Amino acid sequence: MRALTANRLTDGEVVFWKQGQWVERFADAELFAPDDAEAEAAEAHAKNQITLVVEPYLIDLMESEGLWAPVSYRERIRALGPTNLNHGKQEEGGAFVEALLHASGAARSKGRVDLIRRK
Amino acid sequence: MPTRIRLLNGAFALVEDPFTTVDDDTAIPPGDVIISLTRFQAEGERLLAECRKVGVRLESHEEVEALTYDLPRLAVVALVFPKFLDGRAYTYARLLRERFGFKGEVRAVGDVLREEAGYMLRCGFDAFVPADGSTPEDWDRATHRFRHVYQRSVDGRSPAYVERGE
Amino acid sequence: MYQYDTLDKEFLADRSAEFRGQVARRLAGELNEDQFKRLRLMNGLYLQLHAYMLRVAIPYGSLNPTQLRKLAWIARTYDKGYGHFTTRTNLQLHWIKLADAPDIMDHLVSVDMHAIQTSGNCIRNVSADPYAGATAEEIDDPRVWAEAIRQWSTVHPEFTFLARKFKIAVTASPKDRTAAKTHDIGLHLKRARDGSLGFEVMVGGGLGRMPHIAPTIREFLPANRLLSYLEAILRIYNRQGRRDNIHKARIKIVVASLGVEEFARQVEAEWEKIGTAPDLPDTELARIRGAFAPKTFEILPAVSEALEAARAAEPAFARFARNNLKPHKQPGYGIVEVSLKAIGETPGDATSEQMEAVADLAERYGQNDIRVTHEQNLVLPHVKLDDAPAVWKALAAVGLATPNMNLVSDIIACPGLDYCALANARAISVAQNIAAKFADQDRAELVGELKIKISGCINACGHHHVGHIGILGVDKKGEEFYQLTLGGSGAEDAAVGQALGPALPYDRVAGAVDTLVDVYLRERKDGERFLDTFRRTGVAPFKEAVYADAN
Ligand code: SF4
Repeated sequence: MRALTANRLTDGEVVFWKQGQWVERFADAELFAPDDAEAEAAEAHAKNQITLVVEPYLIDLMESEGLWAPVSYRERIRALGPTNLNHGKQEEGGAFVEALLHASGAARSKGRVDLIRRK
Repeated sequence: MPTRIRLLNGAFALVEDPFTTVDDDTAIPPGDVIISLTRFQAEGERLLAECRKVGVRLESHEEVEALTYDLPRLAVVALVFPKFLDGRAYTYARLLRERFGFKGEVRAVGDVLREEAGYMLRCGFDAFVPADGSTPEDWDRATHRFRHVYQRSVDGRSPAYVERGE
Repeated sequence: MYQYDTLDKEFLADRSAEFRGQVARRLAGELNEDQFKRLRLMNGLYLQLHAYMLRVAIPYGSLNPTQLRKLAWIARTYDKGYGHFTTRTNLQLHWIKLADAPDIMDHLVSVDMHAIQTSGNCIRNVSADPYAGATAEEIDDPRVWAEAIRQWSTVHPEFTFLARKFKIAVTASPKDRTAAKTHDIGLHLKRARDGSLGFEVMVGGGLGRMPHIAPTIREFLPANRLLSYLEAILRIYNRQGRRDNIHKARIKIVVASLGVEEFARQVEAEWEKIGTAPDLPDTELARIRGAFAPKTFEILPAVSEALEAARAAEPAFARFARNNLKPHKQPGYGIVEVSLKAIGETPGDATSEQMEAVADLAERYGQNDIRVTHEQNLVLPHVKLDDAPAVWKALAAVGLATPNMNLVSDIIACPGLDYCALANARAISVAQNIAAKFADQDRAELVGELKIKISGCINACGHHHVGHIGILGVDKKGEEFYQLTLGGSGAEDAAVGQALGPALPYDRVAGAVDTLVDVYLRERKDGERFLDTFRRTGVAPFKEAVYADAN
C-alpha cells in the first residue's frame, strides 16, 4: 500500500492525504494500492496546493501487526515523532502507534529522496 | 524595445535599452550591441572602429581581468548570474568599479531577483534586468531596507564604524 | 560583553521587518516554496521532519541572562519547552510554526539576537574560545576580533552567495577549545616580540565529505589588518570555489588543489592590492575592546575555604569540582562547566527551566556572563570559588551538574534522524546508549578524557571525523548503520580519525565503544589518554577486539 504525505505550510506539521483533505494522524491516511493511479493523481493535485502543503510525496507502506506502517525508518519517525522524547504524534498511543513502533525491517522509500533535495 | 531598470542619480527607472544583446550565432545588427567575451575578442576592434557602442557579456566563470585593457572603450559590462546563488559577479562588479575604475554601465543579467538588489547596488551595479518581474519601485524599496551597513563598499555608504564616529 | 547600540538594533529591526514581509508573501502564495526557501534559510529557518526549525545565532557563543531567559521563554511559548545547542554554538528550536516565525524574530531582536546567516552559503556565525576573558592562558581577548568579524560579515555585499558555507573561529590560547583547524578559517591570536598583536591564519579546514585540517598560510598577520586579509581570502574563494559539485565546493578544496603555497601567494597578492590602511579606526576598535574590558574581580585568596570544606564534606561536589571546575585567571575564581550531557538525556538539549536556572546563576554568581561551547555545553566563566558549592547545588537541582566534562559520556551528537531532514541514521539515541554504559562515574573518571562525536550523516555537524572515537550514521538499504573512526582530534593536535572497519548495525554500537574502552584500559601506559594510546598502538588491537566480538 501507499500513502501521500507532506508538511503543512503554516506550521510544518506532518500531514497525510485523506480524500482531498490533509489529516495529522497517519492512522487516518488514505491507503492506495500499489497500482492505483489515484495516488499519482492525488500527488499531482497536492503539488499545486502551494499555500497548503510543502513538497508532497508518496510513501510505501508495509504490514505490521495487522495494520500498516511506512516501510522506511525515516517515515516512521515522521509519523510518530522523534525517538528521544515522547512528545511527537506518538504521545497519543494506541494500536496504530504500536504497529509503527513494532514494524520490522526498513527500506528506502521514494519519499526520502525527495526530501533530501528539499534542503 | 526591451527595457531594463537603470539607476540614475540615486533613482530607479525603467529605461529603454539602446543595446541589442547578440548571441554568438547571430549576425551582428546595426547599432549598439552587447556581445560575449569570445566574440568581443574576435570582433571587438572592428565593431569599435565602426563608431558604435559596444558592451561585453561576461559569464560567471570568465575572468574580469580579460577586459582590463579594453574597459575605457566599453559602454557596458553585463555580468551574468546563471543562478542567483552564483555570487561571483558581485566580486567582478566590485573589481570593475574599485580596482579598474570602470565608469560605464555595469548590468546584472540572468537570474536577477529583487531580494539581491541591496547586494548588487552595494557592489556597483547600476542596471538590472530582473527575472522576477520586479519593478523600479520594488528595487527602490529593497535597496532602502537597511538604515545601516557594516562594510565599506562601492556605493560609498558609511559603514557603521564610521557612522558611530560622526 | 558587547552591547548593541542604536545602529546594531536598527539593523536587526530592519532585517526582521524584511523577513516578516517575505513570510507574508509566502503565506499569500505570492512566493512558491523554491523562491521562499532561500529567503527563510537566510534567516535560519529550515523545514525538517516534524516542523520548521529555527537556528538562532549566538555570536561567539556569548549570552547574557536576559538573552538566555528570552530564549527559554520563546522555547516555552512557541516550541515544546526546550532547545538544542549545536556545535556551531547556536540554538536550534525544533518545533517552530512558520506563521509564528516573524513574531519570534521580533522577540529575538528585542534582546539583540537574530538568526541571520545561520544557514546558506555565506559567512556563518563566528565562534570563539568559550573561556575568553576568563582563562589565564590567553594572549588577549579573542571576542574583540570575533565581534569585529561579526559586524564585517553581516549581510556582506560581496560574500553572501559563496560556493558553500563558510565558518570562522577565533582563539587566543594554546589550548584550542574552538576546533579552529576544522574551520574554513581558523584564527589564532598571538603576540609578537615587540608586543604587537597578530593572527596565525589557518585556512581550508572543514569536515563533511573529504575532511581537512587547516594548514597555516600566514604565521603572523597584524591584528588590525585582519578584515582586509579575510576579504582577500574570501575574494579568492568566491572566484575559485567550485560551483559545479557541492561536495567539492568548500574552500578546503581550493586550498588543496592549488597547494598551500600557491593559495597563500594568491591571498597575499590580492591583499596587497586591497591596500595598506588599517581596517578599523582606532576609536571603533577601542569601543569594541571597551565592551570586553576585564571584569572587576574581588581580591581573594587563591584557595577558598568554603570550597575546600564542601569538597571534604560532599563527595559528589568533590567530583563535580574535579571535572567541571576549571582554573580562572583571577585568584579565587573559577570557570564552571555546565554539562548538557546528563546520562540518558539528549546531548546539547536544555529545557526552558534549565535555561532560566543558568540565567539566574549567571546573574547571581557569574557576572551576567554565559557561554556556549562547540561541545554543546554551557559555561559560567566567572564564578567565585566561594560560590561554587551553591552553584553546584542549584545546577544539580535542575539536572545540570553531571560531572562529566571531557569524559566518555560528554558526547557530541547532532540531531540526526530524529529531527534532521538530511540524516541517514539517529545520533541522539546512540549517544544515550553509550552514556548509559558509562553511567558509573568512577569508571568514567578511570577512563579519563575521551571525546566521542556522532553525526547522523556525512555533513558532520557532530564533528565525528575529529572524535577520539567518531561515529557516523550511514544508510544500508534503509537500515541504520554506523561507521566508527578512531584517533581524530579537533583540538590543537587536530587530526582526522581513521576508519575502524566495516559499519556496525545500530544495536552493536554502544557495545563496540565499550570494547574499545576496554582495549584502551588494557593497553594504556602511564598518563596516556585514549587518543595517545591509539596513536601509539595504531588501529590493530582495537579493530581486532571489536570485530572478534562480532564473530
Ligand atoms: S550531520 Fe547530517 S544528520 Fe546530523 S544535523 Fe548535520 S545534516 Fe543533519
